[in-house]
Amino acid sequence: MTMSKLNKVLMISLLVICTLWLVVPFTMAVLWSLVDPSQPWTADKLLPPAMSFYRWIDMWQNSSLKSALFTSYALAPSAAVLCLLLAAPTAFALGRFKFPGREVAKTLCLLPLVVPPFITSIFFSSVLFQLGFTGWRFGAILFAHAVLFLPYAIRILTVSFEQVRQEHIDAARDLGASHWARFRVAYLPALKPGIFAALLIVFIQSIEEFAIAFIVGSPSIVTIPTLLFSALGQDFVRPNAAVLSLILVVPNVILMLVLEWLLKSANPTLSSGKG
Amino acid sequence: MVAIRIDELTKQFEAFTALAKLSLEVEQEEFVTLLGPSGCGKTTLLKLISGFLDPTEGTIHINGKDVTRTPPEARDTALCFQSYALFPHLTVRENLEFGPRQKRISAHDRKARVDDVAEKLSLHAQMDKLPNQLSGGQQQRVSLGRALVMRPSVILFDEPLSNLDAKLRDQVRIEIRRIQKEYGLTAIYVTHDQNEALAMSDRVVVLNGGRVEQIDTPEALYHAPKTRFVADFIGDANVFSGTVQGEVQPGLWRVETAMGTYDVATSTPPKEKDVDLCWRPESAVLGDAGHTGKVINRAFQGHFTDLMIETKGVSYRVQSRATSAQEGDTVNISIPPEQLILLERTA
Amino acid sequence: MSARKWLLIAALLTPGLGLILVLIGTVVYIAVAQSFGFYTITGESGFTTQFWSDMIGRKLFSRSINYSIYVGVLSAIFSVALAYPLALWLRKPFAGSMAIGAVLKAPLLIPGLVAAFLFINIISYNGIVNQLIQWLGFSDAPIRMQNDSNAIGVLILQTWKNLPFALLLLTGAVRGISDEVLDAARDLGAGTWARFSKVIAPLTVSGMQASLVIIFIGAVSDFSFQVIAGPTNLQSMSQLMVTFKDRGDWNSAAVVGVSLMMIALIGSALMAIGARLMLRRRLT
Repeated sequence: MTMSKLNKVLMISLLVICTLWLVVPFTMAVLWSLVDPSQPWTADKLLPPAMSFYRWIDMWQNSSLKSALFTSYALAPSAAVLCLLLAAPTAFALGRFKFPGREVAKTLCLLPLVVPPFITSIFFSSVLFQLGFTGWRFGAILFAHAVLFLPYAIRILTVSFEQVRQEHIDAARDLGASHWARFRVAYLPALKPGIFAALLIVFIQSIEEFAIAFIVGSPSIVTIPTLLFSALGQDFVRPNAAVLSLILVVPNVILMLVLEWLLKSANPTLSSGKG
Repeated sequence: MVAIRIDELTKQFEAFTALAKLSLEVEQEEFVTLLGPSGCGKTTLLKLISGFLDPTEGTIHINGKDVTRTPPEARDTALCFQSYALFPHLTVRENLEFGPRQKRISAHDRKARVDDVAEKLSLHAQMDKLPNQLSGGQQQRVSLGRALVMRPSVILFDEPLSNLDAKLRDQVRIEIRRIQKEYGLTAIYVTHDQNEALAMSDRVVVLNGGRVEQIDTPEALYHAPKTRFVADFIGDANVFSGTVQGEVQPGLWRVETAMGTYDVATSTPPKEKDVDLCWRPESAVLGDAGHTGKVINRAFQGHFTDLMIETKGVSYRVQSRATSAQEGDTVNISIPPEQLILLERTA
Repeated sequence: MSARKWLLIAALLTPGLGLILVLIGTVVYIAVAQSFGFYTITGESGFTTQFWSDMIGRKLFSRSINYSIYVGVLSAIFSVALAYPLALWLRKPFAGSMAIGAVLKAPLLIPGLVAAFLFINIISYNGIVNQLIQWLGFSDAPIRMQNDSNAIGVLILQTWKNLPFALLLLTGAVRGISDEVLDAARDLGAGTWARFSKVIAPLTVSGMQASLVIIFIGAVSDFSFQVIAGPTNLQSMSQLMVTFKDRGDWNSAAVVGVSLMMIALIGSALMAIGARLMLRRRLT
């Protein structure tokens, strides 16, 4: 009985902290984004004296937000697809073949995660300089994103490939299925959730990636994170930064929820037959 | 002397009563088994004694001291877990030393105790291995050893043999009993296996639905079960509902059942007219007299033959050492009056 | 295995693992080479230790190293220290535990830059915290909390961002310990602290090491939290590296970069070994 009482107290205190932790910051951000420039929001007022969507409209019309949105949302899906294509053969090898050095290969795949991002981005741009390849910055960022987020895609797809059941492949063969039919009936059902999860996670990572976009892209390429960074830095206007923060975070949260749901629903589709 | 005294112990999980007003006394150095089907409350009782659960009502005394609200880490009990629960990151020696370290026993004493237990359980060759390098039987011995080094007032066993294969089970069973006697330990042993209970215990507590059905020696449980549940649960039994007709001779009562009449020898007269009548399949005598029935199934089992016989639409089981009866044959069976048992009718 | 199969596997690994090795390998190679004077973009290229000896003598550099290590170590320790009790609390599901887990993991969804903005928004000169302080009468004038010289703001942000990650790893590890093992420890006389230090911590040490190392590497090379919320008189190593690069001094940037990589490597090894040693000593 005391245990459940303790749990209740802990839970309430935690909820209070979380409110402070999440609800207050976001409410503040929303309020700041709605401040009308006609009357400044001074410290002595609980709510902004005048509220409007002026900042949102202004940002949309008079800043590089449009081009940043375009760049980010062109970059992320391309990086996701490219990353998936690059990851698939490696994941297939790691998931379907037993070979000496397999564990080492799996560990090496994690390398991009342990090298600090600013080192990667600065010296990647240095390499580009050395090669004289400075023309297509968008392409350089795309390439870097696709390779740097490979660890996620390889990990997820390797697990998916491991879950493809040999009996299903054998059964399909036994029943005379062609290569394509075998892939559709035995591989695809097991791979599908992994493919979506990998695409989504690379998409999200790419959307919010800052170091590469900032170092390799500057000054010509602007993504939402780099735009937000400059809004927080040299030309700090709080309401504008609030607008950008919300634009960056809201799609992110929605996509993450989709991802969570995907990963949860991934298991039942694989549970056919005995384990 | 009484080692454990349990008074009217009740445990409720919200609306569900896991244990209802259970009372039990266990003598010093006694080996008592808690026996029953899953969900009967035996594990709940063990957890109450070891302190992992708090009773809703009632008290527990160990060696005269009230420990009802004492947490498990401060209780003088040691538990052998079903899964052994060895610490996977510690060697056998470190596992054995874990308890004495917690009790701040001096290094010298600790070593003496661990060596003594290792000797008695022949664990010397395994002392520096990790649990996952041991066989099931060895892990079981380490788990027993870890409890023994605590020199507890009471040692508790939670189905310790259920993860061993059949051959090893007999061996470990004998070993547990030997160690218990050597150390003079008071032991409470939980199992759902009636053979284990009968073979090991001084006394057996048969539990059903959170209540005690019967507390008795293994012999008494088998030969004189008090309830239909006990008769059914321990060994094979044929049980029929019947009505007492009256005393035909001093100490001999006539009972009418669906398959015919029986004369039952009993020193305690039945309290009610409606009774359950029970006999063991091996008590039946195949001969010329008695109830006539038809063999509907025959299974040769080696040292006996198992027959299913039907009389007046009632089927029952008979075990005979020498019979040539085949399926479809008509046979006569009789049961000696002293082998018939009258059971209390339970609701 | 036949040569043919090896060839197949090598071909399959090339676009994924191969590209990773090429990219990371080139990046590390260029960084090391530039730090020793090669590949200079303007001026002469050739082996020299000049950039190293110049850099090591500079106060800016040593202050930056100390500061980055300070942020890295403390962020890793704070995140793990906070995540452990939460992971233990959430080990067994109870009514509401899912909701709490979700709320605790929410920072994973929020990009670091947004987190930094939300944070400075709250502690800024006319933010809600200052309003509250004035309203409660603790102080007449707003207090300056942004860019504090002890980098408390950066530590709070790092912990906020990394706690969910440590929680994720540790919850998995803690759930892997069976109830019976914990009960056994209790039965043998282990109290709450002994159960944690002698059973739970050693059994989850790999999860703890992984969280410490990954959080350390992330925090030691922090750039955005430092620039937005960190002390203005100090530079983190990433920040210093970017400063040099912006000046076109690639060789000096490379010296800082290589130092940062070495600190990340050595630091993570030390943290991993330290965690294990500390537990080992407790046991015997």
